[in-house]
Amino acid sequence: MSSVALPLTHAERTTTSSMPSFLEELLADQQDLTAVERFSQFHSGSSQPQQARYYSSLLPASPPGPGEQYAFEVDLDRCSGCKACVTACHSLNGLDEDETWRDVGLLHGGSVTLPVLQHVTTACHHCLDPACMNVCPTRAYEKDPVTGIVKHLDDQCFGCQYCILACPYEVPKYSAKRGIVRKCDMCSQRLAVGEAPACVQACPHEAIRIAVVKKADVAADCEANPFLPGAPDPQYTQPTTNYKSSKPFPRNFLPADYFAVHAEHAHTPLIVMLVLTQLSVGAFLVGQILQVYAQGSTLFSLVLPVQTASALGFGLLALAASTMHLGRPMLAYRAVLGLWTSWLSREIVAFGAFAKFAAIYAAVLWLWPEQQGAPWVFGLACAVVTAGLAGVLCSIMIYHCTQRPFWIGPRTFLKFSLTTLWLGLSTVLTVSVLAVDLQQPASIQQLMVAYGSSLCLALVIVAAAKLLYEVALFGHLFSKQTTPLNRSARLMVGELRVWTRIRFLCGLVGGIALPAILLNQTWGSASHSMSPAVIVGLCLASFTLSVIGEFVERTLFFTAAVAMRMPGSLRT
Amino acid sequence: MAIKLPFADLLHQRDGRYTREMLLSPGGFGLGVVPDRSKPNATTPMTCGFCSTGCSLNIHLQDGAAVGLTPNTNYPVNLGMACPKGWEALNVLHSSERATTPLLRNQKGNLEPVDWDVAMGAFCSRFKQIQRDHGPESVAWLGTGQLATEELALLGAVAKFGMGMIHGDGNTRQCMATAVVAYKQSFGFDAPPYTYQDFEESDCMIFVGANVCIAHPILWERVMRNKRKPEIIVVDPRRTETAMNATQHLAIRPKSDLALFYGLAHILIENGWIDHDYIAAHTNGFDEFAAHVKQFTPEIVAEKTGLTIESLHRVARTIHERPRVSFWWTMGVNQSYEGVRAAQSLINLALITGNMGRPGTGANSITGQCNAMGSRLFSNTTGLLGGRDFTKAEDRATVANLLKIDVNHIPSVNSWAYPEILEGILRGKIKGLWVVATNPVHSWINQNQCRDILDRLDFLVVQDMYSTTETAREADLVLPAAAWGEKDGTFINSERRFGVIKKVSAAPGQALADFQIMRLVAHHWGCESLFREWKSPEAAFQILKRLSAGQPCDFTGIKDYQHLDNEGGIQWPYVAGADDLKPAAKRPDEEAADSTPSGDLTQRRLFEDGRYYHADGKAKLLFEMPRPMPEPPTKDYPMILLTGRGTAVQWHTQTRTGKSAVLNKLSPESIYVEVNPRDAREAGIQPHEWIAVESQRGRVRARAFVTNTVQPGQVFIPMHYDAANQLTDAVFDPYSRQPSYKACAVRLIRI
Repeated sequence: MSSVALPLTHAERTTTSSMPSFLEELLADQQDLTAVERFSQFHSGSSQPQQARYYSSLLPASPPGPGEQYAFEVDLDRCSGCKACVTACHSLNGLDEDETWRDVGLLHGGSVTLPVLQHVTTACHHCLDPACMNVCPTRAYEKDPVTGIVKHLDDQCFGCQYCILACPYEVPKYSAKRGIVRKCDMCSQRLAVGEAPACVQACPHEAIRIAVVKKADVAADCEANPFLPGAPDPQYTQPTTNYKSSKPFPRNFLPADYFAVHAEHAHTPLIVMLVLTQLSVGAFLVGQILQVYAQGSTLFSLVLPVQTASALGFGLLALAASTMHLGRPMLAYRAVLGLWTSWLSREIVAFGAFAKFAAIYAAVLWLWPEQQGAPWVFGLACAVVTAGLAGVLCSIMIYHCTQRPFWIGPRTFLKFSLTTLWLGLSTVLTVSVLAVDLQQPASIQQLMVAYGSSLCLALVIVAAAKLLYEVALFGHLFSKQTTPLNRSARLMVGELRVWTRIRFLCGLVGGIALPAILLNQTWGSASHSMSPAVIVGLCLASFTLSVIGEFVERTLFFTAAVAMRMPGSLRT
Repeated sequence: MAIKLPFADLLHQRDGRYTREMLLSPGGFGLGVVPDRSKPNATTPMTCGFCSTGCSLNIHLQDGAAVGLTPNTNYPVNLGMACPKGWEALNVLHSSERATTPLLRNQKGNLEPVDWDVAMGAFCSRFKQIQRDHGPESVAWLGTGQLATEELALLGAVAKFGMGMIHGDGNTRQCMATAVVAYKQSFGFDAPPYTYQDFEESDCMIFVGANVCIAHPILWERVMRNKRKPEIIVVDPRRTETAMNATQHLAIRPKSDLALFYGLAHILIENGWIDHDYIAAHTNGFDEFAAHVKQFTPEIVAEKTGLTIESLHRVARTIHERPRVSFWWTMGVNQSYEGVRAAQSLINLALITGNMGRPGTGANSITGQCNAMGSRLFSNTTGLLGGRDFTKAEDRATVANLLKIDVNHIPSVNSWAYPEILEGILRGKIKGLWVVATNPVHSWINQNQCRDILDRLDFLVVQDMYSTTETAREADLVLPAAAWGEKDGTFINSERRFGVIKKVSAAPGQALADFQIMRLVAHHWGCESLFREWKSPEAAFQILKRLSAGQPCDFTGIKDYQHLDNEGGIQWPYVAGADDLKPAAKRPDEEAADSTPSGDLTQRRLFEDGRYYHADGKAKLLFEMPRPMPEPPTKDYPMILLTGRGTAVQWHTQTRTGKSAVLNKLSPESIYVEVNPRDAREAGIQPHEWIAVESQRGRVRARAFVTNTVQPGQVFIPMHYDAANQLTDAVFDPYSRQPSYKACAVRLIRI
């Protein structure tokens, strides 16, 4: 094609010279919106919702009585997969451009002779035992005592997103621009005035209705029934939505997105917070053990104030990072409200106490060095360690409670506790070496003999144990079924493989190889003993790589933790 | 607790700006509660601009500008519902990809913003230069079924009568041409005979190559409202959503449809399950047809289609036993190398069983685009305005007279169809092309060749609402068009119903309504004197009324836009003085509207009197021997590729729907291919893995979606993804010239 515009001919120039008025007229007309004047206003007199004629039969005749609540009822025979419900919800609730509170998934299966295809519309299930509500640290969720609707108080939320991790149905949605979570409230405001929720109003096939259900029945159903093929176990939260179908589901009914695995959100501030709180608690813990184990080691007494101060520093950094994770950090104080139910509240309280105790402890050691070793100071140190360990335990419970297989039980427990030990050991070793190197109370060789080499040995053991445990996950690559852990393993060798490589490289070098070299030089033949500078360098390198390795491990902890979800539609 | 502690809100805040942001309040105007901030102070209904269903959307206005929409509760088409595309119709207008100023390719080869005067100067000088060098027919246009009827008519009139072009065609060639030709040949006029109420009043609906659940969700609403416990028979090689809802799913081998329907005619005739009186009174050619189908014995047909003999008998018996049988088809029939005959094989079944002109019956083509039906009557491409013929002197004289122009302005030869125009470019006969509101670089069959063909043009003008379509990127000149919602006009839907579209949103930048761009072109070209009367879309509507007078599509009884608005749309024919048409005793949305009375204004079907448009008033039974698939599977390319719609949330080439964040969330982001588990196992393909699909024409990388919904030996790729048409084979129906998108040979390769 030619790319050159010919110059206008004379004739065309003259035509154009008369043009502006006509063109301007057209351009002005284009901006003039006259539909209202030209066409009668549509039903301008009517105030009653006309659409009621279609949806009135889709609403319950009477409100829920005692022991009952509202629930969505989906007639799968009528769900054709058009997804009008999603867009109507989006439109009629005025959601953000890309915000959706409903979704439509797809199940498929059957045989060559009788294939089966089933679209599934899904939103909040307004559970009997809502995980979102249970885990919320600010009590921003309420389950209405009459309707049973699980409602989110947008202005109470401070945006920690713990509910997003806990909900097995991907219901709460984070709004970054507001710093809060929002979710489906079954159009409470519509139900309150006798109107149907947007999705119910908009389904061309009347597939969604609001029903009154007996809570006891829902609970009994959750015991016995699979809620829906491909959906998470209903016993976790006891969802109330009732999926009805006249057709038997084939045994091989699978969500269309069953084989799709995608990395989850990384939550960077949480990664920093988790790794550094564990480092800090670990450093206090190891310090305390050393005080007991190496009683009378004057060398460690000399190092203790520095080591306490640096542990405290890391701890405070961690807590600062944790507030960065909040959408509205100014409201962080609300975190205490959920103490009764939320492990996140408990974590915040525990680490809050830990930080205060640790600060006092550090201050005492610096201001009244002579008090070091006094029983009350030792008691204070025990309080620091206890509060810190309680905090780490709360962290573990936060993730354990989400029921994600990658996080459940020993998976989080071992990772977090071994990180605590690993980084604790590494921190104490490095700080000790640095302190001795700077203050020169003794030679570094003496330090290594006194307790440094023991720390190295412990470090190698802990690091090896943790790395082995992490490697064991890849055994799930060979599982015959596409289990959640198999997905996590596939993610780590697939989409996340670069992170995986960095993680194991840092771990092996920082946690095993470098400490082993230090160990060898202390216990091995003294003929070629290292210079202090090399030892300091090796310690620093080991520490840095260990911390980086744990950061990356924690990144994988989040990104490879496949979320539970409702059957989804095809993802490419 | 009545006592509120000071600062209690700081601790537990039940209200505040985020809660207020979600506040709903009564919308008035018959609406329910709506978001408080988008509460309308007026509303007005208008027809949706995506598919041919022609739903009415009630636009919520604040001071004249659209702030939201809800489906129109009372409209006889959609009865208060809309599909996701309709719900999102306003959101796709606000995109950074809108064309806001004309763009002209500069010396460096880049598209550069220019003003309208420069753009029109280039348009006229380049096209005139080409016409001087190569003759007037060397400039052509490709139009669309997306514009308003008035705009299509003005485009066709300016191009042919004003600019002297001979050849122009529309993207309706890709979707409706087959139905047009089938109806013209069988009935004597392009006249889909049904009304949507037939979905609710039928006892047996036979859907052929039509996934209504996905392609026309609101028509499926009407099927679901049928209270007569209908048999639903779906003929489709795939287990589609619609097939899932069928009482009988005939998963035939691809392109064995013609044999199937001849076979059904054979069983019906053999058993005497036909309406001899109707055949004698209203059809021609029955004896020849009966002789033709004699050879299509159940045994032969079972072998060709892959169905059992029992299932053939069962379908035939269902057709016989059910009092009201309707036949519905879309692209599975139309987009075929023998689509016209396949469509006519369905028309024949309806005719010989007397399933015409009664409630719940008919041989019914469901159209594709919002105004394909307007384009069929008024695009002035391969047919002269108002369903007339360029080659007939009488028709030319009538049109010249009605338009008050010299008859010599009207070409006496027919336009080339879309494939011939592209071929014309290839052969150097066409050097300049004006593409309006369509995207051939994505949608044309054997796409790689299409791109190469457009590259050969001296000057390519693309007029579109977005400057980023695959075709606009190839253009020498882009003209920015106002979109649906930013201009006035009328659409005609599948059931022949006129509906109004309105200007409820300001067009961005310098964008102009297509109607006004045509006027601007006429002005610059120097032929505006021919189009003095075309002052506004509504003025043009009055011209179109005149052009329809005396034609089967006569709608001279429609007064104006306001009239259409008041009546909830009006179906053609609606002849002036036909005041005997009464509003329905019962609205169709009320219960027990089991059978619409004849003469009902809102629901009218054709041929109630059995009179067709051929001179003798009879319909023709047309048939032909089925031909083998042009590109059957071979050893090297062992699989058959099927294409079609993959989702209800995307429209065609995603030009518009791809601009909605929500719609994008609801459909797979990139191309995928459905593969049967058996084929996947044999080829070693893992679910969800990236594979290559290769035809003789191209290679496409796609995600494997391993599912039983496609049969072994077949794969399916949705046409919304631009790569799909790199594979398809440019074969056409000989009568309708419609591309045969649906079946070609491919192979799957692991990568």
